[in-house]
Amino acid sequence: MSLREFGPNELFFLLMATRWTILLAVVTVVGGGCLGLFLAGLRVSPSALLRHAASAYIGFFQSTPILIQLFMVYYGTAFIGLRPDPWPAAAIAFCLNAGAFFGEIFRGSIEAVAKGQWEASKALGLRYVATLRLVIIPQASRLSLPPTVGFMVQIVKTTSVASLIGLVELSRAATMINTVTFQPVIVFGTVAVIYFALCWPLSLLGQHLERRLNGGREREVVL
Amino acid sequence: MRQSHRRTVLHGAAALVLGLLVTSAMPRAADATTVDDIVSAGKVTIAIDTTTPPYGMIDNDMQPSGFDIELAQLIGKAMGVPVEFVTVTSPGRIPALLTGRADMVVSIFSITAERALQIAFSIPYASQSSVVLAPKSVNIKSAKDLAGLKVGVTRGTGEDGLLTAAAKDIPGIEILRFDDYASISQAMLSGQIDAMGGGDYGDIYLKKSAKGDDFELKYILKTFYFGIGVRKDSPELLQWLNTFIFTLRQDGTLDRLSMKYRKVPLPPLPTF
Amino acid sequence: MNYVFQFGPIFRHSDELIYGAVRTMELTAASSAIGFVIGLAGALARSFGPIWLKRIVAVYVEIIRNTPLLVQLYFVFFSLPLMGVKLSSDQAAILALSIHLGAYAVEILRAGIQSIPGGQIEAAKSLGLSRRQIIRHVIVVPAARAVYPALTSQFILQLLGTSIVSAIAAEELTAVANNLAMQTFRNFEIYIVIAIIYFILVRACSLLFRLVSLVLFRWKA
Repeated sequence: MSLREFGPNELFFLLMATRWTILLAVVTVVGGGCLGLFLAGLRVSPSALLRHAASAYIGFFQSTPILIQLFMVYYGTAFIGLRPDPWPAAAIAFCLNAGAFFGEIFRGSIEAVAKGQWEASKALGLRYVATLRLVIIPQASRLSLPPTVGFMVQIVKTTSVASLIGLVELSRAATMINTVTFQPVIVFGTVAVIYFALCWPLSLLGQHLERRLNGGREREVVL
Repeated sequence: MRQSHRRTVLHGAAALVLGLLVTSAMPRAADATTVDDIVSAGKVTIAIDTTTPPYGMIDNDMQPSGFDIELAQLIGKAMGVPVEFVTVTSPGRIPALLTGRADMVVSIFSITAERALQIAFSIPYASQSSVVLAPKSVNIKSAKDLAGLKVGVTRGTGEDGLLTAAAKDIPGIEILRFDDYASISQAMLSGQIDAMGGGDYGDIYLKKSAKGDDFELKYILKTFYFGIGVRKDSPELLQWLNTFIFTLRQDGTLDRLSMKYRKVPLPPLPTF
Repeated sequence: MNYVFQFGPIFRHSDELIYGAVRTMELTAASSAIGFVIGLAGALARSFGPIWLKRIVAVYVEIIRNTPLLVQLYFVFFSLPLMGVKLSSDQAAILALSIHLGAYAVEILRAGIQSIPGGQIEAAKSLGLSRRQIIRHVIVVPAARAVYPALTSQFILQLLGTSIVSAIAAEELTAVANNLAMQTFRNFEIYIVIAIIYFILVRACSLLFRLVSLVLFRWKA
């Protein structure tokens, strides 16, 4: 055992742990995105029961800290006979949570599509799912792209919470390094740079998409 | 995120009830673990924490290492099965056992009566004194001298309990609870706290930094004994662990581990 | 597994839980207020300020929005003292949370400012309103109405976000819950109870914001 300085080995360890941060974020975006799409479909469905069920789900996941949701999935599922490992538990908890936020983003986009489009589809004899798939979603997806990319930044940063159930991703790796090097400024500074390197490109992409969506409408306000 | 403004409080309440129902559904049947279960499973799952040096940490090759880790590996060797490590945080130790995620916990698990209400402890395999450390210039001989000072502790540790109790009797002690030992040490070096309660391994740690030479042990709070935690319903496994620890005490293995990782010999370990 | 739920040991600590909830609201309210001021100044600077000031604000926004709050907390609490600025846990938590919210508020408010059609500003100019009057009556008030929903959502996220400040020894609901978990070892029960408390806090705030918007804007936000 040796207590030591922060060196190349430690940096490498942090970078290797970043893989898990990235993988967890990707799984969350994909899983949460699919769930969000489903929830958004329920939120705009003709059935009041489905609308209420979806909004209850979203209400729960947006009103409690993700840390608590993670504990419920990891430890709480033991009471229904499940025993997920930290990895699947974190992936499930983050997907369930992201699904609620994606659901709201997508719903907002769907509702932003002009009402006339629904009526026109109905007049053409399209049913609910067909209208969504062929008419509404292609338009709504364009609108929802910028906030979706923006939320992905949030997801990358939120994966750090998984460290609290023992998953060795970037933040947990940093804590492990910090307890032997005692150089939190360097360790967490490095971690900040890594997170920044992951998030900034996404932020830029989100801003670019937003500008493109707004077309020429964004302009400087001149006084 | 844009809030939905149509959502009513009622929906949310329904969701909450739903969520709670799922998590509080009826518990499953018991899963007592015996030595035979472990041998036939072909592996033993042991919960460890790699952020508690010198007991659990990562070595230069970024592999788990430390007093607890080596002890866990010896357990696997004695049982003739490979060890599967489950990393847990300090507050996650009891849940890891209760939810069956680990067969046992080997992670600076101080033996206390409160914890023993929920899980069972083996006889102690190591002991560690909780002490108060502070800069040499600060005159501290007992808890009374801590009045007016900021004292850092790791949340939920023995030091936390003892110093919080002292703070109730002696007005003016401000307790700051951090999540891990590294944070308190850093708070000391940053001057954010005037004294700290921690394990008696200040020499290994604080002396490492330039300013660290300035710190010294002020007084001993209490000596804690570490046991291996198992589920309450596994007396057979517990008996085997007690026997195993007894043999490690007799053949000097525990003393060797103590010298290797703690740089000091173990005090006599009692048996209960 | 056989687990018997025991909520009794937790309800004996209800004083501490209430204290934690109050602390959470204090941290959220204080940091949101300061963060809003930062956001307003930043948004005005970014929309109307000189180019160098715009750049500085942009860098601030990008750095804060692309790094985790935890790292920002560590920086304020552990690194600033090395530069001679020593803040208590609570002060450091409020400062970090304010800076964090401020970055998001800059972007929200800037979008609000940009949502004002240019024609209105020109109309106001032709009516002879002063620069200051235009900023106030034509830009700030209508923009406030436009950004209100996003700002209140950010407040809710801030409320949930305070749950990590225990890392620098600040006390709030999650810290109290962790303390109780370590004292009573009733982790499951405690997490269920604080999930309910957070839920109630968030719902109460949402409801309050909706009422305020009805009064302020006479408009269904």
